[in-house]
Amino acid sequence: MIGVELIAMTRITVTACIAFLIFGGLPANTHCQEAKMPDLKDPKVIEAGHEVFRSKHCSYCHGSDGNGGVNLTKRDLSDPKYVFQAITEGREKNGLRMPAWGGVLTDEQIWEAVAFVMTLTRPVK
Amino acid sequence: MTCDTSPAKLPTIAASLSGVALIGLGLVLGGTASAQAPGTEDPNNWPQYHRTSNAWRYSPLDQINKANVGKLKVAWIHQGGDITHGLQETPIVIEGVVYSISANNHVSAIDAKTGREIWSYQPKLDPIVKKVLFSPYSRGVAVGKGKVFIGTVDGRGIALDQKTGKEVWQTQLTDFANCHGCNFTSPPVIAGDVLTFGSTAGELATAGKIFGVNADTGAKLWEFNTIKQDPKSWPEETAIYGGGGAWMPGTYDAETDTVFYGTGNPGKDFVGTDRPGDNLYTDTMLALAPKTGNVKWYRQEIKHDVWDYDAPYEALLFKRDGKDLLVHLNKSGFVFVLDKNNGNIENIWRLSETINFVKDIDKKTGELIDRVDPEIGKSTLICPWAGGARSWNAGAYSPKTGLWYTAANEICGALTPVMQKTDPKDYGSGHIGSEDFGKLQLVPGHIPARIDARDPITGERKWTFELKAPSCSTVLATAGDLVFAGDPLGTIRAFDAESGQVLWSFNTGSGMRGGIVTYAVDGKQYILAPSGWGSYMALLLPSVFPDLRNVPSASTLIAFTLED
Repeated sequence: MIGVELIAMTRITVTACIAFLIFGGLPANTHCQEAKMPDLKDPKVIEAGHEVFRSKHCSYCHGSDGNGGVNLTKRDLSDPKYVFQAITEGREKNGLRMPAWGGVLTDEQIWEAVAFVMTLTRPVK
Repeated sequence: MTCDTSPAKLPTIAASLSGVALIGLGLVLGGTASAQAPGTEDPNNWPQYHRTSNAWRYSPLDQINKANVGKLKVAWIHQGGDITHGLQETPIVIEGVVYSISANNHVSAIDAKTGREIWSYQPKLDPIVKKVLFSPYSRGVAVGKGKVFIGTVDGRGIALDQKTGKEVWQTQLTDFANCHGCNFTSPPVIAGDVLTFGSTAGELATAGKIFGVNADTGAKLWEFNTIKQDPKSWPEETAIYGGGGAWMPGTYDAETDTVFYGTGNPGKDFVGTDRPGDNLYTDTMLALAPKTGNVKWYRQEIKHDVWDYDAPYEALLFKRDGKDLLVHLNKSGFVFVLDKNNGNIENIWRLSETINFVKDIDKKTGELIDRVDPEIGKSTLICPWAGGARSWNAGAYSPKTGLWYTAANEICGALTPVMQKTDPKDYGSGHIGSEDFGKLQLVPGHIPARIDARDPITGERKWTFELKAPSCSTVLATAGDLVFAGDPLGTIRAFDAESGQVLWSFNTGSGMRGGIVTYAVDGKQYILAPSGWGSYMALLLPSVFPDLRNVPSASTLIAFTLED
């Protein structure tokens, strides 16, 4: 199982995740999501994510509509795994820094935030 | 404008002098003159954060002057490496060595003539720094007693051997893991044998502190809580989460053996209903005894702040008409002129033109008149915005012109306070009582960003230079009749100190957030400019200054000098 990669994580459970860790190697920078990825288009999940976005002050930098100083609306954030990893591990790019939210937010909360953030962006043509 | 004192005419390093020995003699005489005019001490060096204890950021060097500044060339460039949040420091320069600190508390000693690294040091930081709000930047180091002192972003004080960079001692000062990331983002102050450190707090659900430490051993001597433990000031449990802190460098006045600190805002920033009371000692100028941490006097400038108007900025000292004065700007845009010995108000004047959070401040009592408290759940336009009429980038005063040169902004913020729960695990979200820091708005009819030349006591303006975006870089004034300032698009400019005319400019390649300094080595003067855009200004300003979205970051020191 060496070299097995985590690809589609929609149905991967905690047990399977642990199996990968024990028996196989994980690609660098892969976060083992403990919670299932929910339906990211479910309005309830999106609303819960909006609440996370508000209460955890993502608006400071991103604006309440994503159009703040660090503008999310013009980014291609169509890959939910990338967004999940970015929120969990934080980001340092071009000198700017987003704190890491892993261990502060639960994975469930991070997925909810992913769902909301993805409503702010537009796909790259 | 009458200057406070006329500096003694020190032997200058005129470009026309050709003899190295004569230049060296001039430098030596300048450094050892027995009656040093204020601001002119130790002319070849930049030995502390504001160069001299009066926080003037003034240098008596004039080899680089109005007549020849147009001939500046790059002498050397030093790259700090990690560009996270740019380069926010004011470097220290002593006897031909630059002491620099860049992201994640990376300290370098650099040859001031060549830019080559002599030694470097970097502590292993607590992993929690990745999660906290105020990280990983530092505004500088302190150098003295044969040591280089830093305050770390994981709440430690560390002393390094000045010659080798080897660690001499380290002390954990803040309860970093349990205080929502309270740490140090500024250098300590050397106050005799005591080192004082001011912590971050403000937006953190904790009570910020100032620490006194034995500079030789690192042993903690005292701890001052910037949140006064008084139920009239902080009812019930609100004091636990009071915020405050003293996150900018203080200054030590040896004449009175006093260390001055301005403190940060109370928490939650924008909701004051659960903390009725004056909320001492937030938004306060403190005068502390460095050996004990006892309060000699205090002046709270913004009582019961609900607008995030921190007051940690520089405290300039003047002697004027027989009085000892302290001039202090806070984020609100009001400049307080206080009696240095007791904090009594001598004057209050407005740097900002568009203040609306109060009608005025009583110049006798300091009381806020007709304050505007935003309502929970409703949007209220407040001016200035939570980033302030100016950020923490200090101004500079020239005794030759009698003018204080400072950045100033006219930006408002639409604030909507909300009730907020405190989460003990929160490091990065802050405890502010709002979903954001207010939606930024510019004010029609007002220059949104500028450099002003002002009388520091009366506020009378001599000249203004308009900028495309707020300057977040600390100013330098020199005896060469020059004022140096940088902007977030990367341009450093030299202004004629009297007229404001731009005499020289250079594109440094990244926005400027740090402090420009000057020094001399072997008879040659250098201007040293940190270039590297970052900080929360980089995250917040682009919403109304869209050009700033494309500014690349960096961590670069650029030294300029004249052609040989």
